[in-house]
Amino acid sequence: MFKKMVAASAAKSPWIYHINTGSCNGCDIELVAVLTPRYDAERFGFKLAGSPRHADIVVVSGPVTSQSKERLIRTLEQVPEPKVVVTLGSCPKSGNVFKGSYSVECPVDKYTHVDVSIAGCTPKPEAVIEGLYKAAQILKEKREAMNK
Amino acid sequence: MNYTHFPVLSVMGLFLGGFLVEIFGSKNKTVRNIIVMLFTTVSACLMLYLTIPVFGRGEVISYWMGNWEPVGGHAIGIGYEIDGLNMFFVILVVLTYWLSAVYSIKYMEKDRHLGHYYTLFLMLAGSVLGLVCTGDIFNLYVMVEIMTFAAVALTAFRNKKGSNLEAAFKYLVIGSVGSGFTLTGITLLYMQFHTLNMAQLASLVSGNMTPVSVLALSFMFIGFGVKSFIVPFHTPAADAYMSAPTSISMVFSGMVNKAGVYGMIRLLYMVFRVIDKSAIQIVVVVFGAVTMFIGVTMALAQHDFKRLLAFHSISQIGYVITAIGLCSLMGMTSGLFHAMNHTLFKGLLFLCAGAVLYATGTTDLDKLGGLSKKMPKTTICFLIGAFSISGLPPFNGFASKWMIYQAVYEKAVVTGNFFYTFVTVTAVVVSVMTLASFIKVTQAVFFGQAPKNLANTKEVPFSMRLPMWIMSALCLFGGVFYRLIGRYLLIPAGQAAFNITNYIDAMLGESTAVSASVTNVSMDLADGFSYWNPIVWLVIFITVLIAVCLVLIMGSGSRGKVLESGKDAAEDGKYSTFFSGEKSEYSHVAGSDLFWGFKHNWRKYFGIMQSVHSGNINDYSLMTVICSALIVIVFTVIFI
Amino acid sequence: MTGFFDIIENIIKALVFPGLLFATIGGLILAGFDRKVIARMQRRVGPPILQPTYDFFKLAGKETIVPHAANKPVYLAAPFVGYVSLIVMMTLIPIGGYSAFSGKADLIVILYLLTIPAVALIVGGSASGSPYAGIGVSREMVTMMAYELPLIIVFLAVARLVGGSSLEFSLQYINAWQVANGPVISHLAMIPAALAMLLVIPAEVGTQPFDVAEAETEICEGPLVEYSGLPLGMFKLNTAVKMFVMTSLFSALFLGGIYNGIHTGVTLWGIHFLDIIIRAIIHFAISLVVTLICMTTVHAVTARLKIEHLFKFYWTVVTGLALISLILVWIGL
Repeated sequence: MFKKMVAASAAKSPWIYHINTGSCNGCDIELVAVLTPRYDAERFGFKLAGSPRHADIVVVSGPVTSQSKERLIRTLEQVPEPKVVVTLGSCPKSGNVFKGSYSVECPVDKYTHVDVSIAGCTPKPEAVIEGLYKAAQILKEKREAMNK
Repeated sequence: MNYTHFPVLSVMGLFLGGFLVEIFGSKNKTVRNIIVMLFTTVSACLMLYLTIPVFGRGEVISYWMGNWEPVGGHAIGIGYEIDGLNMFFVILVVLTYWLSAVYSIKYMEKDRHLGHYYTLFLMLAGSVLGLVCTGDIFNLYVMVEIMTFAAVALTAFRNKKGSNLEAAFKYLVIGSVGSGFTLTGITLLYMQFHTLNMAQLASLVSGNMTPVSVLALSFMFIGFGVKSFIVPFHTPAADAYMSAPTSISMVFSGMVNKAGVYGMIRLLYMVFRVIDKSAIQIVVVVFGAVTMFIGVTMALAQHDFKRLLAFHSISQIGYVITAIGLCSLMGMTSGLFHAMNHTLFKGLLFLCAGAVLYATGTTDLDKLGGLSKKMPKTTICFLIGAFSISGLPPFNGFASKWMIYQAVYEKAVVTGNFFYTFVTVTAVVVSVMTLASFIKVTQAVFFGQAPKNLANTKEVPFSMRLPMWIMSALCLFGGVFYRLIGRYLLIPAGQAAFNITNYIDAMLGESTAVSASVTNVSMDLADGFSYWNPIVWLVIFITVLIAVCLVLIMGSGSRGKVLESGKDAAEDGKYSTFFSGEKSEYSHVAGSDLFWGFKHNWRKYFGIMQSVHSGNINDYSLMTVICSALIVIVFTVIFI
Repeated sequence: MTGFFDIIENIIKALVFPGLLFATIGGLILAGFDRKVIARMQRRVGPPILQPTYDFFKLAGKETIVPHAANKPVYLAAPFVGYVSLIVMMTLIPIGGYSAFSGKADLIVILYLLTIPAVALIVGGSASGSPYAGIGVSREMVTMMAYELPLIIVFLAVARLVGGSSLEFSLQYINAWQVANGPVISHLAMIPAALAMLLVIPAEVGTQPFDVAEAETEICEGPLVEYSGLPLGMFKLNTAVKMFVMTSLFSALFLGGIYNGIHTGVTLWGIHFLDIIIRAIIHFAISLVVTLICMTTVHAVTARLKIEHLFKFYWTVVTGLALISLILVWIGL
């Protein structure tokens, strides 16, 4: 019974922890917009967590500056399993306009496995919600894989 | 067996041990330890044997030294008398000095001149034991003097630090002021009634409050107030408790200030028999309430472990004084219960502070941290002590504090006086503040992160942990089986405090009290051992706990794993503390950084308190004398 | 054999009603309801009512990481101790006028039992070794000092109204008194006290604007910062159960005696079980309303206070309200 309850709950309460690795703040604002009454991501159970220890989904925005690289890796390590990494916007995926800069070390998938990439500069809130929803489904799969 | 000799034998035994330990034990460690343990254990056993006649058969033991029995109702010699109340305090005293002696063996081993230490220690133990056994008021004064001087010398025992000598000096000055008042009071009494025997005095003074005896009463009230460190006479206490070796701090809070409480009870209930006057009750309760409040707020502002405990001692004595000032059986039993619990949990906490000092070399709250991983057993003992003193169920502090609230509120209902409701609220708030200051110690000393220089700290040896375990067990026992303690210990002791005719008759012969027309202090019979049933609570708690554990076991297949870093795991990474992504570094929230929201709102009060506690002995003496004058005025106004 | 049935009955009381199962499910539904209604107030769809339940089971399925600096036994045991003591509290409060273990606890005991979950949170957070938790612990403790003063005054006012001596402090006595004389709140003098109690509940539970200790935006949820997995879920569950316990306490203190007319007479093994079920449902409905008034509405329209403002608010406004009641009752109004 407990197994079923845990499995059923896995995708229904994804808590988000947001890491900004030198983003221009555009994506960050869009992520917050997702939680506003207009888009209301809370109906899927999404919630912003205060600490990586509480998180299921880690949302990374920004092109990973060399200052923030170490912090990013450390914070990702501190998230308990199962976890899903989502990149938000074009920067963490490709570097966007910052590509080639001496201080930028993108993309994020050099350092960790990225499950979902939400592209766009900035992505629309609808896209963000869809990406997060997919991430929640991946979370469920990972949870099931852990049980086996 | 003629057990009436036992009290005097134990008292003299302790004094004798004090001399022998200096003569034979000043060089050899083993001889010294054997002498100390022998004399403390034998005297403790002799005294504890007396519980059988006193509590078991309800006897009152009286003993005349040199067989100088009273002639025609006039006491000539020195008499020892032990009724339920004395016996209760005897148990506290015996328990404290025995545990302290066990603890001292290991704790003091690094110090020099231990012969002197044990001489003073045994003198202190003997004097307090004598004080609670004696039935002669001048003998009581002598014991108070021996106690004060032994205590002062022990405060200054680690005299390499100037602050310790200063503390001893403060204690000496204020203590002497107190002793002086006591002696003057006794002189006034002797001048008027030509006797020093407490029973005879009780039969003579009762209902005969002349201006001279009012002055005597107020002087003796001041004297015992100084000995029990009630506000405003608490000023030397903090320094003394902090400077003395921890085994002695425990003795101070466990029996030295209880001696003052004992004196206060005898003074108010028996010798002068004034406690049934409602004005006196209010005066005593006001002293108690102010003491507990100022003690706890000062404790919240402290940076030193032992100093904080010292202010808590003051605060808890405030509870005891409040309770005994109520003049009801419920108040008396709850006060005695709290006195006993205070001996246990404060002793335990002092021993934990001593363990921390022994292991790390400091008690400064801002320099410690993270000891729970190095000293897990001490941490558990400390948590038990802290929960007891802050009155969390099911520990003993809760049972006694709960009875005190009941007693104070009962008094408010019976007298219809709003003041007592106010005192109830104060008592509850003080209890929460007590919890707060112990949370502060927990966070600052035992949890959090350990500074680099404490990396090699080790757990303290077994002989130091043994008294801690004994006291922890007693704390839990007292909380769970408090009805048992109430029935066999507290109610007989409480009733003995009221039953002064019995005391007088046992001392001076049958029907002396009747002929002197002394009556007992009237009490109501409610004893307050009613609603709180910790056993039921514990049973429900354990049932639910078992159910939760079963659910946990059932769900263990689907539950996430508990991951813990190995010993050699990297400092950085998954198991490091979250620092917003930064590399984990030493960052400890020290004790003085806590409770900012509280201190900010109370900054004016703390400002005043800081300027009052200036640390200047001249100010303290002035404060003592002015407050003494006020007490004399108040008592005069009440009676005349 | 009767002894055996007594034991079974008591175990059922502790584990099913009004203990473990009832308190947990009730608390989870209350918390879900709270979140849903806040969403509706902000014109959102909001999460399903069962969201707290999903949160709990999801957390149960996650890893628990014990950090380096933490003291493992204390760190892991704290949430469970808090949870169990909340459940025990629930068994001591009369539910719909039905008290499972009668005559076993009075108001002061309740006051102290209430501190155990808070102390569990404090000690657990402190044991995690994080400086964020240190700040959170400090704030939690100050919050506790803040609300304890008005709470005791409210209790004394109620005790003074219902009875003479301190021996009549018990919740069962208060309940019986209310059955005879009408709910406590119907006495005008007690309305300020009821208001004070309503203001104490959100601080006790830790909802906005009094959630300074667990401020996730500034100190990463304070004492909970290092917790993950099941222990974190237990703490979230504790908050939910605490909501139910506090609202139950409110209705037991102020709204007792409104169940007078409920007697169906249906019995099973000598227990009026239908009565108990109906009363439990009404009790739960009252809890919902109290939650709506004192937590949901306040949460939806306020932002978090600063800790020193919180302390000041409780020691002036709320204590003042409670004192008005106490004085009015004392002079016999």
